[in-house]
Amino acid sequence: MLGGGRYRRRQEEDTDLNMVPIMNLFLVLIPFLLMSASFFHIKAINTSIPVLAESQKESQKEKKVKLTVVVELQKDKVKLSALGSDVSQQELERWDSTIPMNTEQTYQLEAMADYLKDMKKVYPASDTLILIPAENVIYDTIIQTMDVARRFEDEPLFPNVVLSGSVG
Amino acid sequence: MALGKIRHRKSSFVMPRLMITSMMDMFTIILIFLLFSFSDKQEHLILEEDLNLPKSTIKADYTDSIKLVLSQNSLKLGEELLAPIKNGRIIGLDPKNPQGSLLFRRLQEAYEKARMEDEGLAQENETKKNHILFLCDKNHSFKTINEIIKTAGMAGYPNFQFAVLKQ
Repeated sequence: MLGGGRYRRRQEEDTDLNMVPIMNLFLVLIPFLLMSASFFHIKAINTSIPVLAESQKESQKEKKVKLTVVVELQKDKVKLSALGSDVSQQELERWDSTIPMNTEQTYQLEAMADYLKDMKKVYPASDTLILIPAENVIYDTIIQTMDVARRFEDEPLFPNVVLSGSVG
Repeated sequence: MALGKIRHRKSSFVMPRLMITSMMDMFTIILIFLLFSFSDKQEHLILEEDLNLPKSTIKADYTDSIKLVLSQNSLKLGEELLAPIKNGRIIGLDPKNPQGSLLFRRLQEAYEKARMEDEGLAQENETKKNHILFLCDKNHSFKTINEIIKTAGMAGYPNFQFAVLKQ
């Protein structure tokens, strides 16, 4: 009996997990994954420039009041206004606003987002924003502004951003 | 005496065993990291050294189209160098006469070629297909960008996809 127990113990001690096949598998997998790994992910923002086009005719039933926001990134401020054929001039002027730059000389995009959220609450069908940057505004700032215009804190705002140069 | 010493040395020799546990740990970490950065979509874009794309929160993928690359020192259409850039100015692109630039001519050629290929398609589908994937350095001013997008618009490409890096 004792002899048998000693034999079993010796057998248990000898059991050793053979890791070599797993190592081989890893060595095959790693070069394959290295080849198909992408260390930067490129995404794309869809935008357009203003073009002459026929106005879309919507049926009376589907017609919802839409405003188009105009965001002008000026030298020292952000000028906001609205365009729309379905509302009065007085109503449009109500949406005229100016946001000055902050102390760090950057645009206050959070304040712009608040303005856009307010407009979206009143006119939920609105989806187009025209962005007019000044000549000296850098591309990075334009992209940041587009990001805020499109969505702020997971709240969808104006998905159609049209980029335009200032006229005049 | 001497023989006895040798025998003693031989008997104390222990066969070295390879310790692969630590190596396994390392490989497991590498494998997990690579599995996370695995991409089924092969990136066809090769970013040049003098091209720093801006970062964005957008999640949409780009589609295959004409690639216009505006790096710090050059303007390229695909692989072809169209113009060098000096102090933010595109050499050879007159803002008052964009139709005379090489960029306009090349884009118009590409537009005509695409139109010929898609002759059988409906007009609306055709216009939807016409867009440019624009890769631009984040430090360029809007003045420079505007000259390019205006020229592209005149050549028949009013729609753009701005390439950005995922934030």
